[in-house]
Amino acid sequence: MILDRLARAVDDRLRLSPLTRKALAKVFPDHWSFMLGEIALYSFVALILTGVYLTLFFDASSADRVYHGAYAPLDGTTTSAAYASTVRLSWDVRAGLLIRQTHHWSALIFVAAILVHLVRIFFTGAFRKPRELNWLVGVTMLLLALANGFTGYSMPDDLLSGLGLRIIVSVVESVPLVGSWLVALGLGGEFPSDEMIPRLFVTHVLLVPAVLVALVSVHLAMVVRQKHSQFPGPGRTEHNVVGARFYPNYTLRSVALFLWVLAVLFALGGLVQINPVWLYGPFAPAQSTSPAQPDWYVAWGDGALRLFPPWEIHIAGHLVPAPFFPGVVLGGVTFLALYAWPFLERWCGGDRRAHQLLDRPRDHPVRMGVGVMALTFFAVLVVTAGDDILARLLRVPVYDLLNLLRVLVLVLPVLAGALAFLLARALRRGDAARLGELTRADLRAARQPADRGDAEAAADEPELPAPDRPGERVELWPDGDVWRWRYRDEPAGVAILSNRAVLTEQEAAESARLAYPGVDHVLVPGPPPPPLPGRVRTALRRWGNRALGVSLLVAALRQRRDRRRGGHGDGPDRR
Amino acid sequence: MGVRTYRSTRRWWHPGRTVVLGAALALAAGPAALAAPVAPTPSGSAAPAPNGTASTGARGEELFRQNCASCHGQQGQGSQRGPSLVGVGPASADFQLSTGRMPIAGEIPQPRRGEPVFSAEEIAALVDHVASFGGGPQIPRVQPGSLTAGRALYAANCAPCHGAAGTGAPLTNGWIAPPLYDATPVQVAEAIRVGPGLMPVFPSQVLTDEQVNDLTTYVRRLRAEHLDRGGNPLGRLGPLAEGLVAWIVALGLLVAAARWLGQRAGE
Amino acid sequence: MSRRARVPAAPPGVNGRIILSFLTSAAGAIGFAVSYGLGGQTQWEGGCLAVAFAGLATGLAIWGRRLVPTGGYVEEHEGFTPPPAEQALTAAVLTAPDSPIRRRGLLAALGLALTALGVAALFPLRSLLPGDRTSPVRARRDTPWGPGVRLLTAAGRPLRPADVPAGTVVGVFPEGGTGAGDAPAFAVRLRPERFTRPPSAGHLDGLVVYSLLCTHAGCPVRLYLKGAGRMLCPCHQSSFDLLADAAPVAGPAARPLPGLPIELGPDGYLRARGDFTAPPGAGFWSRR
Repeated sequence: MILDRLARAVDDRLRLSPLTRKALAKVFPDHWSFMLGEIALYSFVALILTGVYLTLFFDASSADRVYHGAYAPLDGTTTSAAYASTVRLSWDVRAGLLIRQTHHWSALIFVAAILVHLVRIFFTGAFRKPRELNWLVGVTMLLLALANGFTGYSMPDDLLSGLGLRIIVSVVESVPLVGSWLVALGLGGEFPSDEMIPRLFVTHVLLVPAVLVALVSVHLAMVVRQKHSQFPGPGRTEHNVVGARFYPNYTLRSVALFLWVLAVLFALGGLVQINPVWLYGPFAPAQSTSPAQPDWYVAWGDGALRLFPPWEIHIAGHLVPAPFFPGVVLGGVTFLALYAWPFLERWCGGDRRAHQLLDRPRDHPVRMGVGVMALTFFAVLVVTAGDDILARLLRVPVYDLLNLLRVLVLVLPVLAGALAFLLARALRRGDAARLGELTRADLRAARQPADRGDAEAAADEPELPAPDRPGERVELWPDGDVWRWRYRDEPAGVAILSNRAVLTEQEAAESARLAYPGVDHVLVPGPPPPPLPGRVRTALRRWGNRALGVSLLVAALRQRRDRRRGGHGDGPDRR
Repeated sequence: MGVRTYRSTRRWWHPGRTVVLGAALALAAGPAALAAPVAPTPSGSAAPAPNGTASTGARGEELFRQNCASCHGQQGQGSQRGPSLVGVGPASADFQLSTGRMPIAGEIPQPRRGEPVFSAEEIAALVDHVASFGGGPQIPRVQPGSLTAGRALYAANCAPCHGAAGTGAPLTNGWIAPPLYDATPVQVAEAIRVGPGLMPVFPSQVLTDEQVNDLTTYVRRLRAEHLDRGGNPLGRLGPLAEGLVAWIVALGLLVAAARWLGQRAGE
Repeated sequence: MSRRARVPAAPPGVNGRIILSFLTSAAGAIGFAVSYGLGGQTQWEGGCLAVAFAGLATGLAIWGRRLVPTGGYVEEHEGFTPPPAEQALTAAVLTAPDSPIRRRGLLAALGLALTALGVAALFPLRSLLPGDRTSPVRARRDTPWGPGVRLLTAAGRPLRPADVPAGTVVGVFPEGGTGAGDAPAFAVRLRPERFTRPPSAGHLDGLVVYSLLCTHAGCPVRLYLKGAGRMLCPCHQSSFDLLADAAPVAGPAARPLPGLPIELGPDGYLRARGDFTAPPGAGFWSRR
């Protein structure tokens, strides 16, 4: 085996095997919500792959160029090279449109996945010590993703993106004192300048992606170093991670997710049209199109610009125009709040301990209320960005809708936040397992203010010390040349195997002591019977249930076709 | 209908070709008088004969009395319920009737496009009758024009309201600039010359007949399915519709995939 | 540790499903290549590629779920607060008596040098500003319009009063500056007796010219509502009443559209009497 010899040769020089063994055995917690960040990561990979292809055809220049090609309405028209090359890419380069559309869809999914990931981190309290640093890195990446989305959207120099760029320029211009200087520094002249597109291009393909790649690396390195957090469960403590191993299990699953992301992105890229720049036409300062919206991830800013009343103030005779407040102030406050949240919560809640076990969202009603309030607020803003489309679909005057939204943006978040707070408190105080099981009494109880020493405090208690948890033990055994151990909780029917074999008994005992401090160790002669009893029992029960269900179905329907289908449906699940 | 396109880089503004006319002349002399006689128009409603015969004249008067006079008055002089039709001209009447906007069902702020109530002959007779009130632009005669010139003109003059993709857009007070996909070239030309509702008028000092031909050619082309080369156009509604698909379809599928992958087989 | 154990048998049907997925994927890949070769049709290309990736993904997912051990496994978690002694030892190494960070004076000088270098490195950023060294605020105020500048149509033709009949809207540009971003304006003709507030830039027999750029965020307000005499902005729905000197009447805009004073030149064409009555477009930090 050549590979085998090569691996040995490298290992003889770098001694990578201990590290590799540990890395391959890294445990990932078994919960789907831990894969949301991976969706963002893989969309980013798709962005880079498709983006590199696009740079080979895109001409980032505002110089005049005559388009000649298959799109007849523009054939022979002089436009900017950026626009002409984008239309050429879409109509005359084979597979060009597929890659361009896939790139754009990837950008939409990238930001959406980041947001969903952020929401998961927020509501489960995964940003708490020791992971505040990674939260800061993540929020920065969200900011950069927004910036890169916008620059990419603006580069083709089409009419719709030109309007968007003009709006952003106006927002930057509204900054007191330095606004016009910032614009001049960014564009190298008045809008629309000749420098604009080359600078957008360098920002989009070099500066921001480079920083993003660096931050993604830091983000992942920190996850590996700090290990995953996990939801509470049997055998899961602040001192361990329970789940499946990186190799072989999560390697296969992660690659599968990556391919799923690619499949969905290419399906959209091929089947659903996005940003048809040929229809929008090239940008011209005197032209406009309607309806005009930005991509969804900056739509909240556009919605805020629409909602904010025509208020302008003068400071020392100087104008501070209206877009400053919904544009600059709102954006700044949003990201400052995101950056500051872990520290705010620590400061207000007084919880300074490190946490490896996650909260359930209900465990922290205040966080729940604030989070739902913020999400509702931004959702209303995004809806507002489409107020003209909505007005047309509903056939109502657009200004009536605008006035309604002006009220809703203030009222709805407060209502939604309060409701979320109450529901979380009701769920936590009562014994309902899920939202549907809440009773009226639970809700009434939730309205009472919290007493000191209530469940609030209990949830933040450190976990029960090991001597108070009888029935738990760690079993160690020699397995050929190596040692393994497992955790066992006899009464609960739980048995969890250590993630890797080690060379000595001492090593095995050491890692078991770290994972389950204070739990008694027992030496057993050899490996326990391979299929764990708990799993077999559940599998048998499940199989039995299914068989029962199928036979009931058969008895009830008594139709040959149905009987046959029922039998087939059960087949593959047999072990 | 096949549309002739020019692949040359013909500029639509050609100082030598443009004719500057006085305002009075523009309103009085219809563009039809200047246009060369052409093949039958592609619209559903045939252009009326230049001189209505006696029988169509009587038919038109009868139809007008039955369907229009209650609002617009017996002599088209208008009433509290409807505007005067004196001076609106045949193009306006043909536009309103052939797009089904008139006769209007009730008092609604903006008549909507629908199936025409009258047959082509009836419309022609009615248009002749309204024309007899005097004034107004004639029904334009439309020829195939240049697609590229049409695109540029469309972007400069029509896209602000009807959208670069022809989807239409809302105006204030519940009025909308309608989508252009159902309009025939003659109807588009009529709207340009007449300016129905809130729409501005574009008389021949602003857009020459040739420019109107270019515009109608491009608008006709806008409805073509093959312009949506990238797949389902999502109503050509733009980024927010795309964002909705990204969230609901794409992220929905991916989260479902993650849920399936993040689960152990036995659970 | 080179014990070669036998590969455990797969549960019935699993291998078949995985192979089927991979074959589907291969078919998708071939379909992509064929559709590209036949001239490239975006829907076929995208669909085939999606099938290719989805097939691979499904196969690997079943493999990962059914053929490899899924746990549960436990890995120990050391925690991140090191023992105090260890922390102190590291600190002692870093702050040993001969350590560079103990020499405060030298450090101050080093800091000064580095700060100077950093500030100096910022200077080339100035080159990003426009080359003509005009203040951006002044550039923002000035437009190509000025006394005697003729009004051109989008076609580049000078404009006569008769070219703007009632009911239409005509985009106008300054002669010699048609491409400028802050110059676009529009001309409409209104009946002078309908003016509720006289146009600040005056009018020629009802003919008024205003900047096309919205005073909110700079979009061209090109939606002319003929009967109402209003202009509407497509970006954020500000509307301006041309009968009241283009005052904002709804939406987020706070200032009226700047007017352009015009006159009839001796050659019979319209020309400007000066620049706009206010800087066009979105507001910025400036004195009124």
